[in-house]
Amino acid sequence: MSRSLKKGPFISVKLEKKILAMAASNKKSVVKTWSRASMISPEFVGHTVAVHNGNKFIPVYITENMVGHKLGEFAPTRIFRGHAGKKDKAKK
Amino acid sequence: MKQDDCYYLGYVTKTFGYKGEVFIFLDVDDPSYYKELESVFILLEGKLIPFFVQKISLRPNSPEAVVRFQDVDTPEKAQHLAGSELYLPLELLPPLKGNAFYFHEIVGYEVIDKQYGDLGKITGVLEFPGNPVFQIQAGKKEVLIPANDQIIERLDRQNKKIHINAPEGLIDLYLNE
Repeated sequence: MSRSLKKGPFISVKLEKKILAMAASNKKSVVKTWSRASMISPEFVGHTVAVHNGNKFIPVYITENMVGHKLGEFAPTRIFRGHAGKKDKAKK
Repeated sequence: MKQDDCYYLGYVTKTFGYKGEVFIFLDVDDPSYYKELESVFILLEGKLIPFFVQKISLRPNSPEAVVRFQDVDTPEKAQHLAGSELYLPLELLPPLKGNAFYFHEIVGYEVIDKQYGDLGKITGVLEFPGNPVFQIQAGKKEVLIPANDQIIERLDRQNKKIHINAPEGLIDLYLNE
């Protein structure tokens, strides 16, 4: 069942506070969080959040496409190494 | 041809029709680049065997294609190829320019941060969904940096260096653990 619209999206209060404070002061430092269930709101865009995956912090640079998703989606808890010979993947 | 000198193109999924054609799945960023594929290596019993492509037709908006290989003219011969992996030599990868790079290409590159200077060498790229991350060996510690256009400033292919501007506090997070 999806979350009630009445409640609005879940965002960790501490995390939201830190991001809003940084946005107000135009700072872009990294914020550590364990709150993988927090939803990415438009205020997060351009910031880097270090999301804990149970082992270490995974840096997630927030882009517009990530808004509406949860932080945990970008920091998997299991690492799939992919196909050994897969070399076609590129950053363009 | 060694498997290390090739890249994984995809695999043969199943046979198609009764003339020995097969379906192939192209596990690549841009399947349309291979619309005029002339030959391919197929991994059969641990060896890369070259096969000439007689005909290839890409499915629209799909990573699949129907292929007819030379000397494969019966469904029985085609069935023998089903499930096999396809490879192409690394030289045939489409060239990239500017700050674009292949993930395998930058392994071993030195990372130079705007504030920290020489950070270390890239040991790999973690392909997280929507968030590729560089793994950098900085001394005995591992530093993770998002592979994002906002962070990567310049790619120096000649000197095998990558210039970045990491967000404030990110490198400290790993080095002062």
